[in-house]
Amino acid sequence: MNVVFAVKQYISKMIEDSGPGMKVLLMDKETTGIVSMVYTQSEILQKEVYLFERIDSQNREIMKHLKAICFLRPTKENVDYLIQELRRPKYSIYFIYFSNVISKSDVKSLAEADEQEVVAEVQEFYGDYIAVNPHLFSLNILGCCQGRNWDPVQLSRTTQGLTALLLSLKKCPMIRYQLSSEAAKRLAECVKQVITKEYELFEFRRTEVPPLLLILDRCDDAITPLLNQWTYQAMVHELLGINNNRIDLSRVPGISKDLREVVLSAENDEFYANNMYLNFAEIGSNIKNLMEDFQKKKPKEQQKLESIADMKAFVENYPQFKKMSGTVSKHVTVVGELSRLVSERNLLEVSEVEQELACQNDHSSALQNVKRLLQNPRVTEFDAARLVMLYALHYERHSSNSLPGLMMDLRNKGVSEKYRKLVSAVIEYGGKRVRGSDLFSPKDAVAITKQFLKGLKGVENVYTQHQPFLHETLDHLIKGKLKENLYPYLGPSTLRDRPQDIIVFIIGGATYEEALTVYNLNRTTPGVRIVLGGTTVHNTRRQLLVSLLPEMMPECCSGFWTAQPKQGNLSGYIKLNGATSPLASLQAFSTDQRGVGEEPWVLCLLL
Amino acid sequence: MASLDDPGEVREGFLCPLCLKDLQSFYQLQSHYEEEHSGEDRDVKGQIKSLVQKARKAKNRLLKREGDDRAESGTHGYESFSYGGVDPYMWEPQELGAMRSHLSDFKKHRAARIDHYVVEVNKLIIRLEKLTAFDRTNTESAKIRAIEKSVVPWVNDQDVPFCPDCGNKFSIRNRRHHCRLCGSIMCKKCMELISLPLANKLTSASKDSLSTHTSPSQSPSSVHGSRRGSISSVSSVSSVLDEKDDDRIRCCTHCKDTLLKREQQIDEKEHTPDIVKLYEKLRLCMEKVDQKAPEYIKMAASLNAGETTYSLEHASDLRVEVQKVYELIDALSKKILTLDVKQDPPPHPNTLRLQRMIRYSATLFVQEKLLGLMSLPTKEQFEELKKKRKQEIERKRILERQAALESQRRLEERRSDLASRATNGEVVPPRRGPASLRKAEGWLPLSEGQRQSEDPDPLLQQIHNITSFIRQARAAGRTDEVRTLQENLRQLQDEYDQQQTEKAIELSRRQAEEEDLQREQLQALRERERERERDQAASLHTRTRSLDFREIKPFQLEPGREPRTHLAHALDLGSSPAQSGTATKTSPPSLAPEPFRGWSGPPALGQEFLPQSIPTQRSEAPSLNPFDEEEDLASPSAEGTASPPAPEPSLGPPARLLREYNPFEEEEEEEAVAGNPFARPDSPAPNPFDQEDEHPPRTPASPPVPGNPFEEDSDGGREGAEPIEEELLLQQIDNIKAYIFDAKQCGRLDEVEVLTENLRELRRALATQKAGSD
Repeated sequence: MNVVFAVKQYISKMIEDSGPGMKVLLMDKETTGIVSMVYTQSEILQKEVYLFERIDSQNREIMKHLKAICFLRPTKENVDYLIQELRRPKYSIYFIYFSNVISKSDVKSLAEADEQEVVAEVQEFYGDYIAVNPHLFSLNILGCCQGRNWDPVQLSRTTQGLTALLLSLKKCPMIRYQLSSEAAKRLAECVKQVITKEYELFEFRRTEVPPLLLILDRCDDAITPLLNQWTYQAMVHELLGINNNRIDLSRVPGISKDLREVVLSAENDEFYANNMYLNFAEIGSNIKNLMEDFQKKKPKEQQKLESIADMKAFVENYPQFKKMSGTVSKHVTVVGELSRLVSERNLLEVSEVEQELACQNDHSSALQNVKRLLQNPRVTEFDAARLVMLYALHYERHSSNSLPGLMMDLRNKGVSEKYRKLVSAVIEYGGKRVRGSDLFSPKDAVAITKQFLKGLKGVENVYTQHQPFLHETLDHLIKGKLKENLYPYLGPSTLRDRPQDIIVFIIGGATYEEALTVYNLNRTTPGVRIVLGGTTVHNTRRQLLVSLLPEMMPECCSGFWTAQPKQGNLSGYIKLNGATSPLASLQAFSTDQRGVGEEPWVLCLLL
Repeated sequence: MASLDDPGEVREGFLCPLCLKDLQSFYQLQSHYEEEHSGEDRDVKGQIKSLVQKARKAKNRLLKREGDDRAESGTHGYESFSYGGVDPYMWEPQELGAMRSHLSDFKKHRAARIDHYVVEVNKLIIRLEKLTAFDRTNTESAKIRAIEKSVVPWVNDQDVPFCPDCGNKFSIRNRRHHCRLCGSIMCKKCMELISLPLANKLTSASKDSLSTHTSPSQSPSSVHGSRRGSISSVSSVSSVLDEKDDDRIRCCTHCKDTLLKREQQIDEKEHTPDIVKLYEKLRLCMEKVDQKAPEYIKMAASLNAGETTYSLEHASDLRVEVQKVYELIDALSKKILTLDVKQDPPPHPNTLRLQRMIRYSATLFVQEKLLGLMSLPTKEQFEELKKKRKQEIERKRILERQAALESQRRLEERRSDLASRATNGEVVPPRRGPASLRKAEGWLPLSEGQRQSEDPDPLLQQIHNITSFIRQARAAGRTDEVRTLQENLRQLQDEYDQQQTEKAIELSRRQAEEEDLQREQLQALRERERERERDQAASLHTRTRSLDFREIKPFQLEPGREPRTHLAHALDLGSSPAQSGTATKTSPPSLAPEPFRGWSGPPALGQEFLPQSIPTQRSEAPSLNPFDEEEDLASPSAEGTASPPAPEPSLGPPARLLREYNPFEEEEEEEAVAGNPFARPDSPAPNPFDQEDEHPPRTPASPPVPGNPFEEDSDGGREGAEPIEEELLLQQIDNIKAYIFDAKQCGRLDEVEVLTENLRELRRALATQKAGSD
């Protein structure tokens, strides 16, 4: 059930099968992202893969002493490129792997193009999704729906991604979906269709309890992506933005050149792996420990190494020191920037009110707090709009709803039209009318008692009171209590036992807060393994600007913005778009279209 | 549960690691293990069977068991809390995901396509061969023509009014030409020529390839096809007028294209670019390193721990060898990097990138592996290490013995304490002899001679008491009471077992920590030693002396070996069935713990002394075989309780006494010295090895030491320049070079500076030393 490992295994297998010798990896835009999430450059170099090329790159030289491993999505363009490639082979031998099901006719046309008999392997390896964490995957699709309905292209991509996931994990699941969402039902049917069609592929060893695929829709819980996060990974994504493990730090004041863009990958960064789910305070102390460790190991520049013994000690410590220095400077910078943003944007205060809005039902106090914060000049217009959105979602039908007043406040604060529009959009998207289940007021007695008790006990941490709605859903699912009238099974058969292997997919994107929830559920519930996926992994800006307001995109900026929003920095992006330097254009090139950008190393290679 | 009759023994002996039963001998333990725990963890069983297995494994096993018991997610790094579930990072390894191959389908389609193509090419080649088979220069043109026409039927001139390629009309001026390979017609402009060398190249290569590999697509039928050439075809006027082709063959563009493609293929097959050759060499070197480096690291680790399993010379040879390979890798990758760079036109950026990447990966490889290559101790250091190690072991042993004694003493105390307490209340039961029943209602805790040993553990006490109650009850014939008591006893024992297991786990963890600490200390020692050496400044001459002196030192520690004889005893006794539990107990107090010391002895010595029946090849310093765990279970706790309050008074003076002999021992060795068995007043008297101590077997290695060796050494220590081992210097220089390179690679300039400074210093040191030794 480990998705990172599943993809990694595929890639390793490809490389292994091609035998010894220098190799080039031919990829397309999306597979580049897929590979870079699971393999680091040095790791892959060790396996004799020295070059990374895009199949659509025209500037490739004939290098007959290289073996080519092609890992491609089975799209029409890719097949065409491949046919051209095989007609005039540039490498000695080709190992071709498609990331999904490829049609027989495509295989035939490829075979006919291979006059020089350079193809040694044609396989389907189902690594067709971005593996973010062992239990979290994404398809990097932004704006998958038009209004309430699927964009047909994205629906087929999502279906492919989801079926590939099932195949790579060797699961042939029963499917449940959220009844209130048409999109969820549609996707469930498409997946089922593929399973039926490719029944041979889906013949796996039967487990006692069949795995379960639960398809949800983001609009059922529009709150979660609106909240500020306080765990490391989620926070980094919310405030800085993670894109295929890459973090852009170029906007950090006074950043040194080599830290402009850093990679945070749990696979090869122990500190990150251990801390990604810890909250900000804990990270603060951990990073202090890390620094202290580092200081201890650091060779003292002033102190002359006088004796051989000194020198030897230094030399022996050096490798560890070297390894550490990269990690330390990276995390210190990231955490430093986070805390700068937190204080600059007054996020602690904002977050407290956000949590209150999300978790408590005290209208007058909430309203008062929101009003107070709207007066605070340090609260950014974005955060202000966000608060009002939360208020609007929660107290949409409240008798003394004073949304118009708040909207006035927003206007007075000078919040731009764009953000103000979001408030109505978010209600349109995830308002009460749309929601299948009630987010705020608990329905059953147990939940009411729970909330009551919680109120009595007081909250341990005001910033992390909120539990995503997904938690409740999954909790019920694990206990076998998830209502069938809300989440029906697709097809006649139903699950008798409690589910063990669960795959949750959220149309419209998952969040890192939900990833954390799933992570904790995995850790606390014996015998249950849950994998979470989404069309993308959200932060607030992403969701708001792309999922909610597709009609706003052209206003924001032409072309590229649709393609891929760089978190929150429109001006930077537009500048990039208009730049003429080769670096910038290449960057633009590599990040264009549906948001599958390259790892920095891949980027460097493309230069 | 017989073992619980004598709880005093539980702490030491052949304990079953799972139920903590004391089995009197290794063999009994083994059979017990096979009977009782055969269903349990096979790993553990294997451990018991091969007692000799390495220490670390045993530790791992315990840790692993802990992990299994609690389904813990592992305690790594900065966080460690455990719930019932499993961290996704810890999800068990999964099999490779589904996949589907289209290869056979692909091949089928391709074969259909390719057959056609290959047949064409072969046809052309065969014709070409025929056309070049005769001596063209010395044959008349008419005859040539005849032969050419026999190879392939020429197309009739009248059938082709226009050039099929360019569409020009044929006329007197624009004459027709025939392709000699396919017989088709084209104009002069569209005509191509194949030179003889090219033709030869093509034909000879295809002969090779035909003989070497017979692809199904290269069907021999083409040979027959080509024979269809007919002489009957009418020769055209234009053709007759053709000038004679001495050294070339006319053909059409299509045939030429096909042939050129073919040529390219041949070229590619034969030509290996420089980069490939270099790269292959590079890979060979890397493989070599992969092979040798682990071997070396094992050696170095062992040597640095002061073990004598490997010889120092051998290791340093290996080091040099590995280092040479590294240099070669570096050189080769550099060569690859600069390959063709200066050429005009410069190579394609991709080529350069490839070269860069290869270089980069080679650098990574060197960095990773070279930095892991620890340095060897110098000869002196090695001797020092050996000594240290011995002392360390010695010290440990002493501590154990102390602990044992201490516990013994405390037992005595308790016993008397208990006795006095008993006198207050009830009558003290007689020490030996049958159980005496005092009151009908209550059973008294019954102590039996030596074995009535007290236990610090209240549980054990209780168990002990209850056993004696049972016996008393049985003697009194109260069966119902016996039953309840037995039930009670069982519960207690269960509880105790559990407690012990937990304790064992805890202890093994603590021991691991301790081990680390020790290693650190050792390191510190080593460094200080080196510093002192530098200060001492000895000439080469004195250095050899001092070395000799060190050789001698071990003999002073010789008594360390004596326990091993006891081990032999103990084993003998243990294996004999006559040896009962009580017998062990009644034997001299120091004897009981002996076996364990034997087990934990250094491997080098252990090999010499251990009985044949037990293959001992442990090479880890603080040995941790399954038994040691139990031993540690006993000793540290005893240490903890005993030593802090009252340091053995008796040990003080002898230790100081010993230090007179050993003026060179640093303070940090005091512990070891204090624990020297020589000083032990209570060490077992009859020792067959005592004699050997005076005539150590290794004397030949050391030249006779005149008079007082200590004086000499200290004299030598005060004069002369720094005796820095040249080898060490060179090693360090190598290392630093690697670091500089690495730092440069990563652009950390400040580091480079520091490192360069170091390097300079080292070089200077080397120079001065060389000057000194000359």
